[in-house]
Amino acid sequence: MSSGGPASGVVVTLTTALALAPTAAFAIDYLSADQAAQLMFPQADRFEARTVTFDAEQLRRLEAAAGVSARSARWQVRVAQRAGATLGFVVVDDVIGKFELISYAVGIGADGAIRQVEVLSYRESHGHEIRLPAWRKQFVGKDSSAPLRVGEDIANISGATLSCSHVTEGVKRIVAVIELARQTGALA
Amino acid sequence: MSPMHGGAHVVRRARPLLGTLIEVGLCGTRASDDARTLAACDIAFDAIAIAQACLSRFERGSDIARFNAAAAGTWIDVQADTDIVLSAAQRLFDDSDGLFDVSLGSAPSGWLLRERRLYKLDAAAEIDLGGIGKGHAVDRAVQALQRAGIVGGWVNAGGDLRSFGKAELELKLRDEQRGGVVEFGHLHDGAFATSCFGPAARSRLSTAQHAARPSHVSVAAPSCLMADALTKVVAACGDVRHPLLAQSCAQAWLH
Repeated sequence: MSSGGPASGVVVTLTTALALAPTAAFAIDYLSADQAAQLMFPQADRFEARTVTFDAEQLRRLEAAAGVSARSARWQVRVAQRAGATLGFVVVDDVIGKFELISYAVGIGADGAIRQVEVLSYRESHGHEIRLPAWRKQFVGKDSSAPLRVGEDIANISGATLSCSHVTEGVKRIVAVIELARQTGALA
Repeated sequence: MSPMHGGAHVVRRARPLLGTLIEVGLCGTRASDDARTLAACDIAFDAIAIAQACLSRFERGSDIARFNAAAAGTWIDVQADTDIVLSAAQRLFDDSDGLFDVSLGSAPSGWLLRERRLYKLDAAAEIDLGGIGKGHAVDRAVQALQRAGIVGGWVNAGGDLRSFGKAELELKLRDEQRGGVVEFGHLHDGAFATSCFGPAARSRLSTAQHAARPSHVSVAAPSCLMADALTKVVAACGDVRHPLLAQSCAQAWLH
């Protein structure tokens, strides 16, 4: 590692020589699914949990509509309600990036438009073990309210820009899931 | 979600914006205020969304998308965010002898900014603020939080980050080739950005000394706009002692 002149106006206290430092895994839990649902629909007095299941023909329609693979035939949907009226829907999903696993929630209004996308947790792997089922399995079934806390201190990752394209793809899929579920009467 | 650090209580949220993840952390609040503090993060997200609507070349109707689609000889009225970023980009172009170029070589002298109006001189000119826009959006978000009376915190746009007030951040660098993060240091009241340059990266380092191995450049600076932009200057020249760094009260590392 080499560094520039001493005239910095910003204090950065260096930890160690980067080339020698071992890489570490990293995890941050932001919100539980319930907290995210509350933030997205603060007026809601109730969130009803519903399971939506699609058949093979519906999955084909879903893929055609979303332009991405359907991935799953079963989806858990939180229906935000106020005084019995539907305000919208919240769906939680995970996506895998190059080195990271991101859980996020999508809020969709009763009009079918995206209201908000909120990240629930972010897990950075040591490296390529993210592709190993064993690494991913440790997070299966983990709600953010019962998280695995790797780094609970305040820390910020800096690196070349993390692409969010897989989150964007996941959001598209969820919009199509809600649309199809409403068309088929599964959320009526 | 609410770690304690040096006695300060912190809440943090993250949302996808600017094509990356934006993390906002606010400190100095009590646990009983968590719900209100979580909602206050929206101040930062809203400021970033406004900057994105002006600066992203991918957003139809943004100042930059309109410029790129315009014919030569067209004047375009631009928003305050665009004015600030393009003014800085022009100064950086001049001070770096053309190393920092938001036209990405399409036509470095093909645009002109005058009193919040952008003129297209050359039909070939296309502007891409990918090397400076995220930094500016972070600055805007931090300013909005400070105006709202938030005592300390940080905003991190996929690695372009800035802390303010009483927050002291532990910095971790992501290894773009192998994955994982390494401890780098601590940042107090300032900005920090990292760029990766290598075969698949947009930033290039052309010096023979570093040509053989892909690498990273990090810059600490008072503003995130400068930290973001200066990583591109250092990536282009390979010189962590480029005069622009000292001139900007910034410091650079190659690693």
